[in-house]
Amino acid sequence: MLVQILYLSAKLRNTKIASAVRDTLILLFPIMLLGSFAEVIKFAFLTKNGYMARMFGITTWLPYNNELSWIMGVVFHCTIEMIALYAVYGAAYYTAKEYGQNTARAGAVGLLAYLVIAFQPTADGIPNFSPFLMSQGMLIAIIVGYLCSRLLTAFENSKLDQRYKIVSPILIIMIISALINLLGMAMLKMEVPTYVASFVVDHSQSHALLYVLGLGVLTNLLAWMAVGGPFTNSPTFSDAPSMANMNAALKAGSSWNVPYKFTDTTLFHSFANFGGSGVVLALIIAILIFSKKSKNRNVSKWAIFPAIFNNHYPMMLGIPILFNPVFLVPFVLVPLVNMLIAALFIILHWIPAVAYPVPSGTPGPLIAFIGTNGNWLSLILGVALLVLDVFIYLPFVKLSDRISQKAGEIDEN
Amino acid sequence: MRSMKIKTWVLTALGIILTIVLVIVSLNWSRNNVSDLMRVHNSKMSPVIMIPGSSATENRFDTLVKKLNKNNRNPHSLIKVKVTTDDKLHFSGRLRQGDNEPIIVVAFENNHDGYSNIKKQARWFNIAFKQLTKQYNFNNFKGIGHSNGGLIYTAFLENYYSSYSNQIKIKQLMTIGSPYNFNEKSVHHKTQMLSDFIEDKKKIPTSLSVYFVAGTETYNSDGLVPLGSVMAGKYIYQGQVKHFTTISVSGSDAQHSDLPQNDQIIDLINRYILDPQQKPQGRQGQQGRQDSHSPDLDGK
Repeated sequence: MLVQILYLSAKLRNTKIASAVRDTLILLFPIMLLGSFAEVIKFAFLTKNGYMARMFGITTWLPYNNELSWIMGVVFHCTIEMIALYAVYGAAYYTAKEYGQNTARAGAVGLLAYLVIAFQPTADGIPNFSPFLMSQGMLIAIIVGYLCSRLLTAFENSKLDQRYKIVSPILIIMIISALINLLGMAMLKMEVPTYVASFVVDHSQSHALLYVLGLGVLTNLLAWMAVGGPFTNSPTFSDAPSMANMNAALKAGSSWNVPYKFTDTTLFHSFANFGGSGVVLALIIAILIFSKKSKNRNVSKWAIFPAIFNNHYPMMLGIPILFNPVFLVPFVLVPLVNMLIAALFIILHWIPAVAYPVPSGTPGPLIAFIGTNGNWLSLILGVALLVLDVFIYLPFVKLSDRISQKAGEIDEN
Repeated sequence: MRSMKIKTWVLTALGIILTIVLVIVSLNWSRNNVSDLMRVHNSKMSPVIMIPGSSATENRFDTLVKKLNKNNRNPHSLIKVKVTTDDKLHFSGRLRQGDNEPIIVVAFENNHDGYSNIKKQARWFNIAFKQLTKQYNFNNFKGIGHSNGGLIYTAFLENYYSSYSNQIKIKQLMTIGSPYNFNEKSVHHKTQMLSDFIEDKKKIPTSLSVYFVAGTETYNSDGLVPLGSVMAGKYIYQGQVKHFTTISVSGSDAQHSDLPQNDQIIDLINRYILDPQQKPQGRQGQQGRQDSHSPDLDGK
C-alpha cells in the first residue's frame, strides 16, 4: 500500500505540469531567498517598530540606517512583493520547454497576460498593479503562465496560415486577460481581516475560538497553495479586540482577564506561526537533524535566518512546500495542534492571553513571552510546542526522503 | 568527520547562548515598554494646552489663568514653553504637586502672521507637544487657541496628531476669534489655507468636541477679524467632529485682543473645557494611583 502511494506520487512528480511548476520554483528560490533577507533586515532590523531595532536600538546608532533601509525596501518590493511576475514567467517558460516550444516567447506572453490582468488604472495614468495579485497571487500566476503556454503550443501545432499563427494567440490572450481584469477587480477587494476582528467582538468566546481555528486552517491551506489567506498579515494590534485587550491589561496591570482571549493575535500569531505559516521553523529543525537529502539540508540552512524572523518564503519555494502533497498534512495540522494546546492552556488559566504590543518580526516563541509581559510558562509552552512540532514533521521529512529516492529510480528507468 | 561534529556542537552552543541573550533582552524591553504604556494609560494628567495668536508671547494668557485660578482651591499650574526658530524648547514655570490639570502655553519666537508661518508654527508646536507627552505622560488633553493659535491647532490636528491618536486623545478644542479665512468676510473667496484645511478635514479626530468663540464688537466683526472668517471654520469641523458649537460674545472686552480676558469667555472655558471641579483630594493625591475620580480614564 505505502509502496503504491510512493510510486503514485513519484509518478505524479514526473508529469509535464508538475515538472514545469518545480522548475519555476527552482527559478524563484534564489531570488526570493535574497528578497527574504532584505525583508527581514528592513522590517526586523531597520524599521523603528521591528524586533531587533527595538531590542538593540539599531536605528539610533547605526550610521546610514535610513539609506540601508531604503535599499532593502527596494529589493523587498521588487522580489517578494512582485513574486507573481517571476512565477508567471517561469510557468510559461518551463511549460513551453516541456512541450518543446519557443520558451522566450511563452515567457514574455505570460508576463503580458498577467500584467494586463493585474493592471489597475489610476486617475493620473501612472501604471499601477493590484498589490494582492502581485504579492499573493502566485497560484493564479502559475495557472495563467501554464494556460498561455498551452495556447501558444496549440496554435503552433495547428494548420493555421503562418501570417495569423504569430499574432492570433497573443490577441486572444490579450482580450481574455483584459476581460478578466474587468471582472476580477471587484472580487479582489474583500477585506477579511477586519471581518475577523468584528466576528471576534460580536460572538461568544467558544464561537470565536472555533472561528479562529477554522480561519487558521484556511490560512495555512491557502499558503500551501501560494495564495494569501486571512491571517497572512502580521498582527497590527490596532484591530478592535486587540485594542480592547491591551486597554484592559494596562488597566488591570496584567493580561489574565482580558475580554477577548481567542483571537488571531492570541492564538495564531502567538503560537502557530513560528517561522511563518505552518510553523516552518519546526520543519527546518526536523530537516537539519533527521534528513539525509542534501538539497533539503542546504535550503534549510539558507532559510534559518529569515525563518527566525517569521519569513517562510525560502522554505516554501526551496523544499518546496508549495503544492507538495507530502507536506500538506503537517503544514495544516501543526499550527492547528499548537492553537488547540494554547487555547487549552488559556482556558485552564495556566497562561494569560497575549495582550501587550509585540514588535514586528519577533522570533517565534518569544512572541507570547513579550505579549504576556514576560510570562515564563508562555515561553516554555512556546518552546515545548516547537519541539512537539518537530516530531510531527519528522515522519513526513522521512517520507519526502524516500519519495525522492523513488523518483530518482523512476527517472533512471 | 570529527571536525564536522565539533562544528555542529559549536553552532548549537552559539545558538543557545544567542537565544538566552534574546530572552533576557526581550524580557527587559517588554517590562519597560509595558510600564511606560501603563504610566500613560493610567495617568490622570489632563493638561490644557494653549496657543496664543500672532505677535503674542508665552505670557499672553497670564491674565486669563489668573482669573481662572481666582477663588480656586486647586489652582492650575502655569507652564510656558517657547519654541525658538532653531527648534529648541525653553521651559518656564513648574507643575504644582498633585495638580492634574496644568495649563501649558506654547508660544513661538517667530510669531508672525501668514499661512507659511502658521505651517512652521504647527511644526514647532508638534516638537513641543512631543516633549510634553514625554514629560507629563498624559493620555488626554484639551486645547485652546486664540486667534492664529486656533489655526495652528487645526494644522496640527490635520498634519501631526495622527501619530499620537492611538495613545493621546484631544477631548475639547476651543478656538477664540480664529480667522479661518484670514480677512475674507465671505467664504466665496476661500484662501489657500482654508482650502487646504477643508481638503484634509477627514484627519481631524471624530471624537472631538469643538467650540468656536467669536467676539462681536460690531455686528459682523470683533474689530479685527470678520465674523464670516471665524465662522468659515465650520466647513472644516462641522460634520467631522462629534460636537460643534459656535458662540458669539458681545459686550465689554469683545474686541479681538481682549477676548482672552473676557469674563464670559472665562466662564465658557470653565464650563466646557476644564474638567468638572474635583473634590479636594487630600495629601496623598500626588502619586495618582487610586482609581476614583477622573471620568476619562479610558482614552479610547
